[in-house]
Amino acid sequence: MIVPLAHAGHWLVSLLYLVPVVILVAALAIARRRDSRYDDPAADDDVFADDAFEDDLSAPR
Amino acid sequence: MARRPLFCTVLYMRRPVPTAFALALAFVLLTAGAADPAFAHGIVGKQDLPIPRWLFAWGAAVVLVVSFVALAVLWPQPRLERSTRRERPVVRVPVAAEVACGVVGVALFVLVVYAGLAGTQTEAANIAPTLVYVLFWVGLPFLSLLFGDVFRALNPWRAVARAVAWVAGRAGGGALPEPMDYPSRLGRWPAAAGILVFAWVELVSSSGGDPSTLAVLALVYAATQIIGMSIYGIEPWTRNADPFAVYFGLFASLSPAHWQDRRLSLRRPLVGATEVVAGPGTVALLAVMIGTTSFDGFSGGETWSNLAPDLQRFFVDLGFSQSQALEVAFTIGMLGVVLLVAGLYRLGIAGMRTIGGGADSTALGRRFAHTLIPIALAYVVAHYFSLLVYQGQAIGFLASDPLGDGSDLLGTADATIDYDVVGPNGVWYVQVGALVVGHVAGLVLAHERALVLYRKARDATRSQYWMLAVMVGFTSLGLWLLSAQAT
Repeated sequence: MIVPLAHAGHWLVSLLYLVPVVILVAALAIARRRDSRYDDPAADDDVFADDAFEDDLSAPR
Repeated sequence: MARRPLFCTVLYMRRPVPTAFALALAFVLLTAGAADPAFAHGIVGKQDLPIPRWLFAWGAAVVLVVSFVALAVLWPQPRLERSTRRERPVVRVPVAAEVACGVVGVALFVLVVYAGLAGTQTEAANIAPTLVYVLFWVGLPFLSLLFGDVFRALNPWRAVARAVAWVAGRAGGGALPEPMDYPSRLGRWPAAAGILVFAWVELVSSSGGDPSTLAVLALVYAATQIIGMSIYGIEPWTRNADPFAVYFGLFASLSPAHWQDRRLSLRRPLVGATEVVAGPGTVALLAVMIGTTSFDGFSGGETWSNLAPDLQRFFVDLGFSQSQALEVAFTIGMLGVVLLVAGLYRLGIAGMRTIGGGADSTALGRRFAHTLIPIALAYVVAHYFSLLVYQGQAIGFLASDPLGDGSDLLGTADATIDYDVVGPNGVWYVQVGALVVGHVAGLVLAHERALVLYRKARDATRSQYWMLAVMVGFTSLGLWLLSAQAT
């Protein structure tokens, strides 16, 4: 895909739609990194409720 | 050499790609290079908005983030899932009304087939394309949201099958052979395939708008449904495999109106979606629903206009005719956008798995599949609202002259389309509102499901960070696709 430089103004405006996603993803990545310092590895297997995956979604209804 | 879509490279690299990077890059591929794409169902007139359109995307993102924070703080317990609040019964309709709805559905089906085969082959002058692509495909999702699963009552194939079963039951003394069990592994895959084929006919096929083609396809579709129902039973087939019944049924699950056994009752909006059982094929179906609508907008843009001729030329060099090569190029484009949507969703699920617990991606993905339903509806409303408002009025004169042969059955053959019924700004605000409300509804459903699945509310909220990113991504994508409407 060749993006003509003459249309740079247009596609830069299009990229503005991406800015919220980039900001959010960056913020989440940073938050995740900070969070990981305080993660308790022992609690890793215990995050789901007991019946979280009990129902069989493949059963025909 | 055939070009391999770049997003495929991103999604299927053996080395794990950071979620943030892949998500951003996948979105870039759609937005970059676009220069005010024309929109397939654009509006008439020029918008006069107080702020640039991209600022609406930023505003929508802020609304989603604020909604997410509000849910985390103010919504610590599930209110929709496992709700103990009973539905409020409103009315019970007699059997005669159900039969009448079935008759109306069959009559409309017969009209489409007859008009398609016997009427003019000029698309705009024959009632069949407008009935199928505007009132049926676009209008019924709106009705489903407002009035519940109305298609279930109107479904002509189901009505015919039930009538045949009733007659056969009476003739045979009440005993009919038991249908086979619907195969669990099939799930909603037949529905996903059917909607994909329908979208292909509408968006890709060079003869998709031909009335006679539509009529023949309608007959083939009806025959397929009748055969399926006769093998696996009317209700199991309709619930799982009839593409349109499943499609409209998913939208109806968002509605406060709930029909069951001819009884109408009211419930909280979105409650029905929490009860959707996302068996095999459900995520694929929703990805098809969102992806094909997105491609409809994307294919009118400059990015695709630049890419499609190269693809077309490649297939011409392989021996295809010009029109065949264009169809193949569009098929690849449509499948690519569907895969992109599915990939974005998978990224959200992959992010959710980083919380821990070791849940299987497929199992987790299915449990959150219903969160895509309001997004799919938001895309339909945003993308096709103007088509419904403007082209929907054509039914006024087409009803009088369904075959396009100059007749004036109802005296409305001279009716025209009023393009002032909604202004360009009004259409834009409806589109933006639909996208924002749809994605906030998706967030609510995801938050609810997380509260049920995760032991701690904190983990539930953390698990939804990446779904929030996906929702913001879908919103920005939707607004970008719509942004070309006013120039």
